[in-house]
Amino acid sequence: MSYMLPHLHNGWQVDQAILSEEDRVLVIRFGHDWDPTCMKMDEVLYSIAEKVKNFAVIYLVDITEVPDFNKMYELYDPCTIMFFFRNKHIMIDLGTGNNNKINWIIEDKQEMIDIVETVYRGARKGRGLV
Amino acid sequence: MASNAAKQGTKIVSKTAAAGTAAAGASGGPPIMPLASPLMGKKKKPFLGMPAPLGYVPGLGRGLTPYRVYPSIHPLSVHPSSLMGSGGLLVPISSCVPGKRRATGFTTRSDIGPARDANDPVDDRHAPPGKRTVGDQMKKNQDDDDEDLNDTNYDEFNGYAGSLFSSGPYEKDDEEADAIYAALDKRMDERRKERRELREKEEIEKYRMERPKIQQQFSDLKRKLAEVSEEEWLSIPEVGDARNKRQRNPRHEKLTPVPDSFFSKHLQSGENHTSVDPLQGLGGLNTPYPGSMTPGLMTPGTGELDMRKIGQARNTLMDMRLSQVSDSVSGQTVVDPKGYLTDLNSMIPTYGGDISDIKKARLLLKSVRETNPHHPPAWIASARLEEVTGKLQVARNLIMKGTEMCPKVKIINGLKANSVEALKVSHIWYSTGVTNLFDAGSYVTELRNHDLTLPEDSLLGSDVCLELSCSDVDADGLRGHQRGARGDLVSRLRSNLVFGPALENVSKSVRLWKAAVELEEPEDARIMLSRAVECCPTSVELWLALARLETYENARRVLNKARENIPTDRHIWITAAKLEEANGNTQMVEKIIDRAITSLRANGVEINREQWIQDAEECDKAGSVATCQAVIRAVIGIGIEEEDRKHTWMEDADSCVAHGALECARAIYAHALQVFPSKKSVWLRAAYFEKNHGTRESLEALLQRAVAHCPKAEVLWLMGAKSKWLANDVPAARSILALAFQANPNSEEIWLAAVKLESENNEYERARRLLAKARSSAPTARVFMKSVKLEWVLGNIEAAQELCTEALKHYEDFPKLWMMRGQIEEQCENMDKAREAYNQGLKKCPHSVPLWLLLSHLEERVGQLTRARAILEKARLKNPQSPDLWLESVRLEYRAGLKNIANTLMAKALQECPNSGILWAEAVFLEARPQRKTKSVDALKKCEHDPQVLLAVAKLFWSERKITKAREWFLRTVKIEPDLGDAWALFYKFELQHGTEEQQEEVRKRCENAEPRHGELWCTESKHVLNWQRKTGEILALVASKIKNTF
Repeated sequence: MSYMLPHLHNGWQVDQAILSEEDRVLVIRFGHDWDPTCMKMDEVLYSIAEKVKNFAVIYLVDITEVPDFNKMYELYDPCTIMFFFRNKHIMIDLGTGNNNKINWIIEDKQEMIDIVETVYRGARKGRGLV
Repeated sequence: MASNAAKQGTKIVSKTAAAGTAAAGASGGPPIMPLASPLMGKKKKPFLGMPAPLGYVPGLGRGLTPYRVYPSIHPLSVHPSSLMGSGGLLVPISSCVPGKRRATGFTTRSDIGPARDANDPVDDRHAPPGKRTVGDQMKKNQDDDDEDLNDTNYDEFNGYAGSLFSSGPYEKDDEEADAIYAALDKRMDERRKERRELREKEEIEKYRMERPKIQQQFSDLKRKLAEVSEEEWLSIPEVGDARNKRQRNPRHEKLTPVPDSFFSKHLQSGENHTSVDPLQGLGGLNTPYPGSMTPGLMTPGTGELDMRKIGQARNTLMDMRLSQVSDSVSGQTVVDPKGYLTDLNSMIPTYGGDISDIKKARLLLKSVRETNPHHPPAWIASARLEEVTGKLQVARNLIMKGTEMCPKVKIINGLKANSVEALKVSHIWYSTGVTNLFDAGSYVTELRNHDLTLPEDSLLGSDVCLELSCSDVDADGLRGHQRGARGDLVSRLRSNLVFGPALENVSKSVRLWKAAVELEEPEDARIMLSRAVECCPTSVELWLALARLETYENARRVLNKARENIPTDRHIWITAAKLEEANGNTQMVEKIIDRAITSLRANGVEINREQWIQDAEECDKAGSVATCQAVIRAVIGIGIEEEDRKHTWMEDADSCVAHGALECARAIYAHALQVFPSKKSVWLRAAYFEKNHGTRESLEALLQRAVAHCPKAEVLWLMGAKSKWLANDVPAARSILALAFQANPNSEEIWLAAVKLESENNEYERARRLLAKARSSAPTARVFMKSVKLEWVLGNIEAAQELCTEALKHYEDFPKLWMMRGQIEEQCENMDKAREAYNQGLKKCPHSVPLWLLLSHLEERVGQLTRARAILEKARLKNPQSPDLWLESVRLEYRAGLKNIANTLMAKALQECPNSGILWAEAVFLEARPQRKTKSVDALKKCEHDPQVLLAVAKLFWSERKITKAREWFLRTVKIEPDLGDAWALFYKFELQHGTEEQQEEVRKRCENAEPRHGELWCTESKHVLNWQRKTGEILALVASKIKNTF
């Protein structure tokens, strides 16, 4: 379902996307559209996109097309999801030891919605880590 | 779904600028993708599908920096090669964009990234060999760090001291370049060498001119050193040692003897001591030290030590030192060994002569004594011999025997040698307890007869005499006499036997003379004194005593003589003056005192004012008024600064009064008034002095002079008038007041005094006229008040009211007028009008406490308790901390029977005015009877010197029937505040009940003298209209009769 979600094709777009959102959480999936892991993830993301559109916006970034952030965000995994809010990377504590991102598939839609919502709530309160 | 999206996408594309697609195409990006999903809604993001600006660094726009920064690394420390790289793990890429570091990347452990192997390839594939791996880069960085880039090494112009490129190899071209530089420098140096050197030289010279060396500075002085001769050079004094004493004299090394414990300790350890060997060095002396010399004597290790031996050793050592010293070649011995060793022996007195001589003398004297035991000199000589040889006890025994053998005296004939010996013997004699009285007497007699003068100033002789005679008389000299005869005997003995001869010899002892004279009859004393003054012409006391005993004529002569002998004593002069005064020659007194001062001054005596004034006071007490005055006049001005005169004189007068020397004080005042005839304060003081201590005549005379000099002083006039009036001389008083008017026209005080005089003497018409005049010429509030009062007391209510209204037109804020108005209305039972008057008055003068009280009384009288209460509350609000208002509130409640409220009010009142005696006094009686005592103690603690409290205590004692105590406290009260009428009234009442008639009379008299004006009960009576002409005594009786014993 990757084609149903907006893509960002260069670093500038990514930056602009992050900068332009004022009061919604930015959910960015870094990966490849062709990657099976990403495909599964995109499926979930697409299905929740409508539901969370009031507080979150979802973008996809191809890390081969846009390699600028690979080093910065350590994008070595096939699929990585990161959250931003008002030009601020929001960390999320999922008990994995890496609070910066989600680098595995979340197959449960509701769980994903909950995570996004939690991020949104926390970020609204000014938290950098939720 | 896909078609839908595509459709939308195309739509968007068509809507957006063609440039977007063109750019997208130009950027060579992927083929056009659906730019926005339906999820983006209407607000499409404009950046979607746009190409990045040229040279855009991702993340930069957001202010993003990568996640690791090394801010401490100096930019220069970064190796160029690493700058060129894309930024490895350890090199920040942001170093290209310094100053943009706002955001940082992650900092968790995981963010440091997977630990890389040193052999991992760096991202920069084009890095030169040797930098391709992480390990290589790290190594390089470390190398770079080795370069010393410390700030101290940095120079603003040259940069770092070391070459930045020192790491590179020094190649041939480098060498060449260096050579070229060197040559260039050399050439440049040579070009201006001469000129430069010249300039440097000049500069140095200039510098030397400005700051010459010390050596050069003193060169001119040093030149003269050549002329200094050898002696001069040698006689240049040494430079003193400027260090302090301790530094100058360093302490010598202190040597302490080795303690015994040290020896014993080392003995125990069985060592052989080499350290105590200096003895050996002193010439091979065998030391008796046990450890080294006589090991057999003592077993080492036993721990015992022969201290005796050690002592011997020390003595030997000392001996040797001494002999060494005495034998020293230079002969400069410090210690006299003989004297040193025999010092102790010399303590015992030894007879210098041959011992066989002494034995011979002893034998001789013994035979003399035996052949003629009644010859005192033999005994004496023997005794002296023994005394000289130091055998005091033997000497004493001899003397004892001698006195036994020669009881009838003359023993001391032999004592012609000298006084010291005589004394010694006499002491021996005395200490042996020689008891024969007549012997003692004759001893002294003999002593004197043979001119054996005792040291006069020591008085030892006389003491000996006295002691002898007294102790002898007391002990057993009177064995045969009756006790009754004793005193007579003593005096006879003393004067005849003891003093007579004593005085003949110790004729200069004033003490003895005085003692002797005291014992004589006047006639004999006179004769004795005439002898005494011959002997002791410098004793003032003797002279004066003699003068006192002589007749007038002789006394004069005596005093003249005394003056000749003692020209420096003032007492003689003063006595002379007294003498003249006593014999009626008053005019001589002044002359004598004047001459005294001049002659004393001529003789260099400093005139001490205080002493003279003291003398004057004594004269005063002795009744020599003229002398006293003359002395005061003569000395009062001496030694005082001009500006201090008045002050000092007033003080002197006060102190004279305090000492009871009234004439002195009067003289001082008289003198002060002569000097300051126009000083009001001096006149006032003098007048008060006369009023308190003088007669009426003297006061009036003084006041007459006073008003002549200070006609503007109203008080003086009034005092004069009052004095006349008190003497019932009304016309004289009137005339004085008339004169006062002339001097002080329109003086309110004098007007009122005149009015008072007239009204008190029932001359109402005159008083009225006077007041009318006063009102027209000096319309003051008080004049008005008095006018109203006069009319009121005379019963002319209408006139009074009229006057009051008129007065209030002029003086609205004079509370007493309002009070009078209200009271007049009250008297006429016009309660409403009275209330109105009070209220109006309170508007004008809200701080007049009596006015408030009157209003509240009025309300209370008409039964409006609540109103009265409110009025008082209001009054308290306007006049905080006014004990009178509080007291009235308390009493109001008390009268209304609300004792609880009264008590609480009182507590509040005491909190607000904790030092008000009147409140405390009331509080004492508010308490129940058993608690009154404690309360009174509290009250006394708080207001120790408040008459009201004292009065309350007195009343308390009165209520307990402790009459004496109550009287004591009453007395204390009236003493502390004689102006308090209540105290007098209560005291009088008390005396009426418990005292005698005299006591009552005394209280009344004292009260009349004090003329009290204050006090609550007192004022109600004294100010009552009906009592307006009453005297103090009458009011006292009136008040006392009104007092009810309510306690």
